[in-house]
Amino acid sequence: MDFALNSDQITLSSALDKLVSRYLSPPTDFRGFCLTSDTLEQELEQGGFFEAAQIPELGPVAAAAMVERLARLPYTVEAALSMLLSAQLEGDWPRPFAVIEHGRPGRFVAQAGTLIILDGNQVGITRASPDLVESMDSLYGYPMGRLKSSAVYTPLSAADAANVHKWLRVALAAEAAGLLQAALDTVIEHLSVRKQFGRPLGSFQAVQHRMAESTVLARGVRLLALKAAWSEDAGDAALAALHAQESATRVVYDLHQFMGAMGMTLEFPLHLWSYRLKALLSELDGRAGQAKAVAALCFN
Amino acid sequence: MEFSWNQQQTEFRATVRDFLAQNLPDNWESIAHGPGSASQSEFSKQFCARLADAGLLVPHWPRQWGGREADAWSSFILAEEMWAAGEPRGGQYMNVNWIGPTLMRFGTEAQQQRYIPPMAQGETIWCQGFSEPEAGSDLASLRTKAEKQGDHYCINGQKIWTSYAGEAETCFLLARTGSGKKGISIFLLPMDTPGIIVVEIPSLIGEGDIHEVFFENVMVPATAMLGEEGQAWDIVRTALSLERVGIPRFALASRMLQRAVDFLKQRDRFHSGAAEQAARAKAACEATRLFSYEIIDQRQKGITAGAEASVARVATVNCERLVAEFVVEHLPETLASGDPLLLAHHQRGIVAGIASGAAEIQLNLIATQLLQLPREPR
Repeated sequence: MDFALNSDQITLSSALDKLVSRYLSPPTDFRGFCLTSDTLEQELEQGGFFEAAQIPELGPVAAAAMVERLARLPYTVEAALSMLLSAQLEGDWPRPFAVIEHGRPGRFVAQAGTLIILDGNQVGITRASPDLVESMDSLYGYPMGRLKSSAVYTPLSAADAANVHKWLRVALAAEAAGLLQAALDTVIEHLSVRKQFGRPLGSFQAVQHRMAESTVLARGVRLLALKAAWSEDAGDAALAALHAQESATRVVYDLHQFMGAMGMTLEFPLHLWSYRLKALLSELDGRAGQAKAVAALCFN
Repeated sequence: MEFSWNQQQTEFRATVRDFLAQNLPDNWESIAHGPGSASQSEFSKQFCARLADAGLLVPHWPRQWGGREADAWSSFILAEEMWAAGEPRGGQYMNVNWIGPTLMRFGTEAQQQRYIPPMAQGETIWCQGFSEPEAGSDLASLRTKAEKQGDHYCINGQKIWTSYAGEAETCFLLARTGSGKKGISIFLLPMDTPGIIVVEIPSLIGEGDIHEVFFENVMVPATAMLGEEGQAWDIVRTALSLERVGIPRFALASRMLQRAVDFLKQRDRFHSGAAEQAARAKAACEATRLFSYEIIDQRQKGITAGAEASVARVATVNCERLVAEFVVEHLPETLASGDPLLLAHHQRGIVAGIASGAAEIQLNLIATQLLQLPREPR
């Protein structure tokens, strides 16, 4: 039992910290719903970050830690599936990866090189092509897209399908952990500065307690995600994803509440993380889907 | 990062489990009517003596006092297994975790020689004289007074909610010798000293758990003081830092969740609504487990946990609550009769957010220390 990253993981994490240091704030004139950066994507590609975790000394824990770190940025990039799922797939599948669940719109679908299709009990995989997908506007802080027509895909065996489900859950939890932390951080800053009744909002116990409870939830999601990445256990993955969706519901509501009207504006960046969390809430059949998996996998 | 146990830790856990399998009688779960009951206290003295013989009562203590300087993981694994079994050590877990180590650090040689060996032998029960009618979370406002009279102190006042007081031989007592936080001192007070009256408070937790303790002109020699006059606050803070991660309640909560699920499955009552609720409780238990391990990992590396310990405590309260709510909603017969350990878990669960620092105080600490939110004006 050791909660510290190993020296290789620390080196990787420092390199990533250095890379992302140029992407810590949104452009001052940004007023949109979705913020992406081609240069961030290119730098991650060129730096070999998407494949880094395939080195045995780094492994899925390092990948999950990178996903968590990147999710804290105001810019979004498809990293979770590239870093955590890609290595699990047989054959050479180009990134970015996107998931189509029950034919619904999904994150990064219009940009995807590879589509994972969740269709009832079947899981399939196919290459994406521009004629197959289209982008769409949405409130979610991710670039959203959908299929133009139903996709033809290669169905995976039951074992491979279960493995894909497992890593999708780890990816969701790692991404959510970063989003939760970044959303909390931005609100903490506001609560420390904004004064009403002559004192900072963050000094009111009614606010402090709910922020503290949100912190407990966010930190739990992070640890469960890292543990699941380490153990590669389907039950751990389901626990992490369940706790992520469960926590996101609660935390997103509270954070917007504490931001008051400022949190409704596109000027304040909270929505970049909170509306991304909303996108994650429905994925993989939502909380009910995760709970069903936990009930099947985590009790004798 | 590494989430698995090494061979030594795995073997140690197996040793503890073997010991429990051999030394806990089949009817153990019905012996403990309450954690402070007479039957539990009596049982704990036999049980802890056997634990001591097996080297499993105080393995993390220094060799000088009967330990073998086992690491932080060993003592936590021991605590997990004991709590998951329903804590057969009863109130003696306090001796092992913090009263003994605090005496080793702050006690005089005479105090150490008198009190530590019986703890290491599993023969003695202590109670903790902290809370008062007007001093709960705001402990510094306590009023029980100790007045110096020659080479003695005369103690007058009242404690309340004192666990194990009915069975304890000695009290770790906080009393006022001056004003403010610096005016509180600690006395190691034999409970058979004339002038002490213990009254049990019937409670939801179980038989003999909480008490009022009255002190009327209780004369105690000055040599019974632990540390210097007025040093209580510093000593207690150090003592509680030994214990900050708290009881591994998630271990029993997790086990009781599994037990409740087993009952429901056997009766074909584990329907999808129950399964969802059980899953949420399970996730909360596992998050709590990781928070606790993270703190032990730090302790092992010589880092004292700060507000992270409060995170673990709040998570503990959440998981206890989710398991208790699951059980009462889906297995309501638990509170009427039936499985004694499930019942005991439910009874003790009510304490999770209250004993050793209310959950709200932990939330304050997280907000101000971890999140660095501005303090509430006082």
